[in-house]
Amino acid sequence: MSNDVRGGEVDLGALLPKEINGWEAKDADVLYDPDTIFDYIDGAGEVYRAYSFQRLLARIYTKDKNPRIIADLFDMGSSKNAYGVFTHDLEGENVGIGQNSTYKGGLLSFWKDRFFVSLYAEEETEETRKALLLLGKIVATSIKQEGEPPTLVDLFPLENLRDKGIRFFYNHLILNYHFFIADENILLLGQETEAALAAYAEGKELLYVLLVRYPGADKAMDAYESFIKTYMPEARDSDILRTENGKWTAVRLKEDLLIIVFDSQSESHAQSIIQRVLEREE
Amino acid sequence: MAKKVITRRDFIRVAALSPLAGAVAHGMKRMKGAFSSGQSRVVLFRDEKALVSFKKPDPEVVQNMLDEAVTTLLEEKGPVEAWKRLVTSSDIVGIKTNVMHYLPTTPEVEQAIKRRLLDVGVPEKNIGIDDRGVRRNPVFQRATAIINARPARTHHWSGIGGCIKNHIMFVPRASAYHPDSCADLAALWKEFNLIDRTKLNILVMLNPQFHTVGPHSYNDKYVWNYKGIMVSRDPVAVDAVGLMIIEAKRREYFGEDLPMQTPAKHIRIADTKHNLGVSDPSRIELIKLGWKEGILI
Repeated sequence: MSNDVRGGEVDLGALLPKEINGWEAKDADVLYDPDTIFDYIDGAGEVYRAYSFQRLLARIYTKDKNPRIIADLFDMGSSKNAYGVFTHDLEGENVGIGQNSTYKGGLLSFWKDRFFVSLYAEEETEETRKALLLLGKIVATSIKQEGEPPTLVDLFPLENLRDKGIRFFYNHLILNYHFFIADENILLLGQETEAALAAYAEGKELLYVLLVRYPGADKAMDAYESFIKTYMPEARDSDILRTENGKWTAVRLKEDLLIIVFDSQSESHAQSIIQRVLEREE
Repeated sequence: MAKKVITRRDFIRVAALSPLAGAVAHGMKRMKGAFSSGQSRVVLFRDEKALVSFKKPDPEVVQNMLDEAVTTLLEEKGPVEAWKRLVTSSDIVGIKTNVMHYLPTTPEVEQAIKRRLLDVGVPEKNIGIDDRGVRRNPVFQRATAIINARPARTHHWSGIGGCIKNHIMFVPRASAYHPDSCADLAALWKEFNLIDRTKLNILVMLNPQFHTVGPHSYNDKYVWNYKGIMVSRDPVAVDAVGLMIIEAKRREYFGEDLPMQTPAKHIRIADTKHNLGVSDPSRIELIKLGWKEGILI
């Protein structure tokens, strides 16, 4: 398992038009790599580095008396990285661009193949909204192939899965961003592990399912031990525990796969979700 | 409303991340030149007329806000007397600003600071205003005093960007401080000899940002007209108060106690590990002046 870069170098600039609804790209594009990205977007660059991004092309579109439009085209190296970084920020409505998209407040994001695309209008107007959506469609069309989402997310049972409920990541800081577990990296996450978090509706409440695929059964066992020792030492023999809020946390290890259910309202429901994940794994 | 139950997740989060946890550091030995009394003062001044429009400050009102805040902070009769407590006419002064395109320190704040430095008698040639160029700027290279001024905003990787983080541009390779969501940002203050040289921290709260989206970590939707300026000698204390205000705004906006996307643990760690200042609210003397509506703290 690795974040291999698939395919060769692509002329990122050729994927973007020079003009859109009167907005023109007058300045030269700027290309950033994992070392120089901080010159452009400061610490937020760590999010893209956490998904092993390869290159970023930034292009600014201007039009008289209108807000600027900023196009950021990320070559993430693989489709699962593009999928993952897209799931980092799922605020907004799906506007049907690329393989999945969100639009909110002048920010259109989508992923397709190994690319993650962010199109941002510095102020949202009806004109900028139209231009962003058209620009998005053009870029998505110019990316010819589609990519495969990570296979790990196929293990999530679909029943009661929340819309936009799945996040895919490698890094424990990204996990904590979506669902705080512990300050320390008690699940031993890293670039060689694949992890996915899903939210499920359970009545009016939410429960969370975390899946982690380790590079081998030994590493998975180490992570399981670390989690039990730190998070639920009372459950060393049972792998299930009713926590302080009256809800259940359950963990299961199967070879290189670790499954954890958080905040289930019943013991049996937590166990049944784990069982359904295992059935999909087989 | 159902009573909130503290779970082990909450406990770990609070113990590890919240400025409240700074209480455990009570009595710890502090860095030389830091706040040996064990208590830090922060002055928040708000003025309803601070902005002529969204993100456009009124220069005269801003000057008055800064003057009132600094004068109160240092318990002097007037702003020039107060600034004379911070710098002398022989100092070489760098105003460390922040040029983030969407939410800069603002020229109005920069000029309000510069005016008082000139009033103290610092020659104009010995005053520099810079952000990303501080390592190359001759004034900053020789600076004997630094005034640290930046807006408060949420930040994708460090939780919030405040006065502690503003000195990151003194570091040749900023990413060296990014591990563990920038936990050890305070260490750079010591490494680059910034503790004693930084005479005043100004957290610009005219238009704070309370939520972060997209690669540029910014959207006007998540910025509000708070119309405040906060000052302190202690960068940790002023950031801790700024964080509390931003958290309160998030509760108000989202209608629930929505945790910071990235916990701003570097503030607490600046206190408990690096002894740069005070993060425990019980040891921060917060003086609130001016407009009170929507103060959130």
